[in-house]
Amino acid sequence: MSGRGLVRGQVVLEHATRTFRVRQDRSRTLKELLVRRGQGSSHASVEALRDVSLRIEPGEAVGLVGRNGAGKSSTLACLAGIVPLDSGRAECGGRVITLLELGAGFGPDFSGRENIYLNGALHGFGREEIEARLDDIIAFSELGRFIDLPVKVYSSGMFLRLGFSIAAHLDADIMLIDEILAVGDESFQRKCFARISERMQAGATLVLVSHDPSAIERVCRRVVVLDGGGVAFDGDVTEGLLHYHRLLGTETGASRGARPGEGPGLEVSELELLDADGRSRSAYRPGEALTVWMRLRATGEADRAVAALEVRSERGELCFRTDAALGTVEGEVEVSFEIARLVLLQGSYDVAVGAAAQDAPTGRLLERLTRLVVTGTEGGEGIADLRGSWTVAGRAGAQEALR
Amino acid sequence: MLRYRFLFEQMVRRELRQKYKGSALGVLWYLINPLVLMGAYALVFSVLLRVADVPDYPLFLLVGLIVWVFFSQALLAAAPSLVQNSALVRKVRFPREAIPASVATVQMVTFLVMLAVATVVALVVRGTFGPALLLLVPIVALLFCFVLGLSLAVSVLHAHYRDVEPVLGAALLPWFFVTPIFLRAEDLPGVADREWLGDLLQWANPIAPFVDAVRLVLYAGASPGAGHLAYIAVAGVVALGGGLMLFRRMERDLAVML
Repeated sequence: MSGRGLVRGQVVLEHATRTFRVRQDRSRTLKELLVRRGQGSSHASVEALRDVSLRIEPGEAVGLVGRNGAGKSSTLACLAGIVPLDSGRAECGGRVITLLELGAGFGPDFSGRENIYLNGALHGFGREEIEARLDDIIAFSELGRFIDLPVKVYSSGMFLRLGFSIAAHLDADIMLIDEILAVGDESFQRKCFARISERMQAGATLVLVSHDPSAIERVCRRVVVLDGGGVAFDGDVTEGLLHYHRLLGTETGASRGARPGEGPGLEVSELELLDADGRSRSAYRPGEALTVWMRLRATGEADRAVAALEVRSERGELCFRTDAALGTVEGEVEVSFEIARLVLLQGSYDVAVGAAAQDAPTGRLLERLTRLVVTGTEGGEGIADLRGSWTVAGRAGAQEALR
Repeated sequence: MLRYRFLFEQMVRRELRQKYKGSALGVLWYLINPLVLMGAYALVFSVLLRVADVPDYPLFLLVGLIVWVFFSQALLAAAPSLVQNSALVRKVRFPREAIPASVATVQMVTFLVMLAVATVVALVVRGTFGPALLLLVPIVALLFCFVLGLSLAVSVLHAHYRDVEPVLGAALLPWFFVTPIFLRAEDLPGVADREWLGDLLQWANPIAPFVDAVRLVLYAGASPGAGHLAYIAVAGVVALGGGLMLFRRMERDLAVML
């Protein structure tokens, strides 16, 4: 949808409001319509967007973060013009390309090459425009001979390669991308981010929804934190991600409006993950030893100081939280949290730490964030290695079952 | 809209591919279906019941059947089309009319192939070559408009009320039997002394004049009357206009409800 009065690449949301009715039973039938007519409706309603105003200028990259149900995907769908607003205005200047779901808009029986045409056509591009970019798209996707096989045989990684390659090469003015890049491997991700930067230098605008703070940090200078359908924070990316993290830490989800550096005279100035040899690194294998090391700086004398540490999965679920009383802190101190054996299993985790005087509410504590990547499949699947062992008793031949 | 012409072409290709995937005979199946029906009905009405005393009866049946098969198959395929493509509707912005329209168009392609076969057979067997044959072009175009409009309507209605498809499936069989396909309405034995009944069968059912018009041109080599042609024109335009209007009104929240 090209909005009138908007510059190419500009995105505007003005007092956008959208309420969804949630039905018990998804599909309506005629009988229900006839029988329920005139009766009070049994719908619960959810305010997905509540008076959201945003203005994004051409060439900007904005990350949208928020907890599940905060309105991130709804915002993208409204911007893309897929979901209409109840009131307010949502407009994009120029051509928009969306990447909201892997494989949406692909014909499963079409080859990768044919799907490039189909997908381009869905975004309003003509044959010549697509043909002019076909070779670049295929080369970027690294699909090789798979490009001529039907996409139903593709892995999710291959879907991503194709989907992203199309989106990144069709030269749209605005790219709306939802939580997708996480599927690709590290080297392809790097390539994607490089291509996104290239497109932005050419004046394209990016709105990226992700649960992965590192992905947001890599491309976005600005971040918008959504909570309960409203904008809880809009500004610099580092500050915004901390805000997001603090939001995850609060039970009710109501924004407390705390800002880093407001703690009474105590802050974390450095944070590192150290391995058994004392070297700083962020990738570990399950079962390895690991120390979370931080340097605290007190301005003056901080009484009854506490340090807190929190580990969350990529999706924002709390895995572990702890805090410790440090007594009185003066000047600089180093605090370590030692983990003899890492029980976390494969995945990406956020480690957040903070420090404050005792009377500060814990929700405000967390102010520094680092990423912990656990690689390797030993130890089982899931979040944590429960370190149990199997035994079978009371049955002949039981040992066989255990292999 | 012109910008999306290429999209429409791509959607039709996608639909064609999905329809014929994995079937060795492919499009042939869709040609065999009316032929089998033709054989069965010719046997029942002409040989067993002896109610149809029509020369070249199988051809007479075939011409009516292909119009009906196009009409019914297009509606049955269009009704669930939006629901089946919900991933597309929820995640990409494009003119959603393209979905039921491409479904109807694929049926149209099959119909045109069948019509070409029937035309050749009619020209050879009935010798119906003449200026009336030219009328086939506007008649078929209006038939397409009629079917397209109804396809748009049933697809968006089914997205809102999920029993549209089963209701349609149940209605099409009796609808088929009251449509004058076995005999022309005025030739039915029960109509002889009740002319109003013949008119009712012929004009109250909007698909009946299309069946009759195609049959007049192909089988009889005659031109439908001016009133008949006007009826077809109005039916085609009203169905398409009404279908589009209904679709535009009801598509607003499709991404949310699918």
